[in-house]
Amino acid sequence: MGKRILTGNESVARGALVAGASVITGYPGTPSTGCIGSIIDLDLPGRHIEWSANEKVAFEIATGAAWAGRRALCTMKMSGLNVAYDAVISVAYSGTNGGLVIYVADDPGVSAGMAEEDTRGFALMADLPMLEPSSPSEAYRLVKEAFEISERTGSIVMLRLTTEVALGAEPVEVDEIPPLEPAEPILEKDITCYTKAGSAICREQHRRLIDRLAEAEKIVRELGLNRLELGEDGGVGIVAVGAVDRYLDEGLEAFGLSRRDVSILHAVTTIPFPREEVRRLLARSGTVLVLEELEPHFERGLILEAREAGFAGRIVGKLDQTLSRIGEYALPEVLAGLSEALGRASKDDRGPATKIPSPAPRPITVCAGCPHRGTYMAIEMAIERAGFSKDEVMVTGDIGCTILGMNPPFEILWTEVSMGTSVSLAQGYVHAGVRTPVIATIGDSTFFHAGIPGLINAVQHRVPLTLVVMDNGWTSMTGMQVNPGTSEEFQPGGRRVDLEAVIRGLGVDRLSVVDPYDLEETAGAIEASLKDGGVNVVLARRECAIQARRRGVVPGRIGLDPEKCVLCKECIRATGCPAISIGDGSIEVDYSQCNGCGLCVPACPTGALFKGGRDEL
Amino acid sequence: MSCDLVMIGVGGQGVLTIADLLVRSAFASMIPVTFSPTKGMAQRGGFVKGEVRIGRAGSGMRIPPAGADIVIAMERSEGLKGIPYVRPGGTFILYDEALIPAGVALGKDRYPERKEVLAAIRGSGADLLLIDPWSRPSFDGITVPANVFVLGAAVGIEPLLGTIDPSLVERAIEERWPGRADMNLAAFRAGRALS
Repeated sequence: MGKRILTGNESVARGALVAGASVITGYPGTPSTGCIGSIIDLDLPGRHIEWSANEKVAFEIATGAAWAGRRALCTMKMSGLNVAYDAVISVAYSGTNGGLVIYVADDPGVSAGMAEEDTRGFALMADLPMLEPSSPSEAYRLVKEAFEISERTGSIVMLRLTTEVALGAEPVEVDEIPPLEPAEPILEKDITCYTKAGSAICREQHRRLIDRLAEAEKIVRELGLNRLELGEDGGVGIVAVGAVDRYLDEGLEAFGLSRRDVSILHAVTTIPFPREEVRRLLARSGTVLVLEELEPHFERGLILEAREAGFAGRIVGKLDQTLSRIGEYALPEVLAGLSEALGRASKDDRGPATKIPSPAPRPITVCAGCPHRGTYMAIEMAIERAGFSKDEVMVTGDIGCTILGMNPPFEILWTEVSMGTSVSLAQGYVHAGVRTPVIATIGDSTFFHAGIPGLINAVQHRVPLTLVVMDNGWTSMTGMQVNPGTSEEFQPGGRRVDLEAVIRGLGVDRLSVVDPYDLEETAGAIEASLKDGGVNVVLARRECAIQARRRGVVPGRIGLDPEKCVLCKECIRATGCPAISIGDGSIEVDYSQCNGCGLCVPACPTGALFKGGRDEL
Repeated sequence: MSCDLVMIGVGGQGVLTIADLLVRSAFASMIPVTFSPTKGMAQRGGFVKGEVRIGRAGSGMRIPPAGADIVIAMERSEGLKGIPYVRPGGTFILYDEALIPAGVALGKDRYPERKEVLAAIRGSGADLLLIDPWSRPSFDGITVPANVFVLGAAVGIEPLLGTIDPSLVERAIEERWPGRADMNLAAFRAGRALS
């Protein structure tokens, strides 16, 4: 139907719809969010697309649909695959009926602050085929192949994009989204497949799993997904896995070479390992350069093949220390690899860059009007009022916008581990005998995702701690997705799960529901919790300021009397609010950002900042 | 012809919007184009970068060090992060606005001096086009948006001028803000007069 500018995420979504995926599930996570984000609001009769409670739930739903014979896609970031993996490995051994594809986005270079992991290791451990497109266009084509391979082999197929491919955009040749073919779901009763009933069944499943990957290797070869271009005998052979392939032309040009002067294997799969293509590349090459981001999975496979084939040449990659296991690869890494493989410097080897002064540090903080600002300020007030300093009270943090409390000016959070960890990590500190109170903090979506079991555990074992749940009604950091607690008006056909009722239902000793714009109320509730030694929860509730603003909600108005301002900067020190800056002779308030939350008012010692106007809510 | 551009600024300045306008313009004239955004989270105020490569078929999306024909920096201190990208003989456009982070306002952190920034840009061997925020004209009593104003200045610079017809950028502006493109068109045309 022609070309459209699409990101890799959008290409995966569109490709899946064109391929007939009827159930698409996932949990938001940079850089994968834009996949479901680009289609969740479309009217697509007969298909079900959702943001699920967490990645494991999302994957299990997709599995159910695939076992019933439909095509299903499940999307997540690499950390999400860690969460889903318990189910993934079990389903890998069971196999699938309908096409079942997991789209996972890895983040070499860590643009979004998480462990720099390489999920190919998961595909390796679960014997699952994984396709690694180098561009949005290739992602679009490969998602359709992924469903084909999944159905022909009965295996889950993984599709792995890296940040550059997932977020980057280019013109992509796309097809119309066809209406979904109606199909009768299959109900197949077969405990040898769908359960783990007994060791004989499990060993048989393991055997079939190995067979499926061998079958996938044949299909991948038959489809020609791994492209081999052979050059002159005894020359340099290059393996390029994923996105790095697209820097080869520029890289070779810098050495006065073109693709014809070398042999190239553009590898779209590390798992299954393209043995035949690698053998042919080894037979033609004197030296082989392996270009892959993160872990040397391909390189290790190539070394095994080289040994089998009696290859006597050099293998240049990470294991000989030429290239790093850390960071994203682009042209500089390709040049470094080529230089080592060719034994010479590139034509335009530029000397060391001139010294550039350091830019001003710009730590990200919460938005103007963010309710979390009030919660961080209140936690500090409560700690002080309870007789402690903030350097002696452990406050565990969790994933999402709520973690911004680790940054200035708050600097209130000590830890960031994984979804839901704050609640259980805090219990470990208590059991270690920490004498000061222990506080855990978590956002609403993160609490629904993985925080609830930790709180159940604290209730069961009577662990004295204060859990502050910062409920802004949205999954915000990834760009405003719905979660179980989001207002029903934004969840067509869905139902809002009442976070307060959930927490109350778990049987905590004390639950206080507060408005984080009300510092006294919030600090008072936290202080009381710290003092009484129970399993206590403070639920700080106020909608995300960005979302409230989009609907025209104006909580209040802040007035500024420049005559009274003495430029003491206490307002900036206390709030770090991006709407406040230093002007000529007084502070300035940027009313395009200020929503009148009023958190700066008590910080002002001279009354220059005051609440003015009427509450419009 | 091809043109590699790096755009740098702070969340909320519309850096990725002008990248998007260039991508639409290239696409409209069937020129190969890639766009790679780097941004933090949903919040405003963090570092933002956009890399746009026009006229290169099948290339990777990241622009190598000293590889950008044009760097557009929308904030003075953040502009320092753009210097490694610009190629000698290329053009560095600095929109000379200083957005002061809280740490600097409180005297904890240092904000680079203006002359240091300008010297570092000149040291890269690129031509410097300095744009004064106060030079923005008004449209209907409102100062025109900085991002499209700066984009107007950029489209007149080679090799972008030889790659993209500026009238296509005007059309992209009209398509992006249907029915209310006037202010942005005014910004764009005023920017064009700068280069």
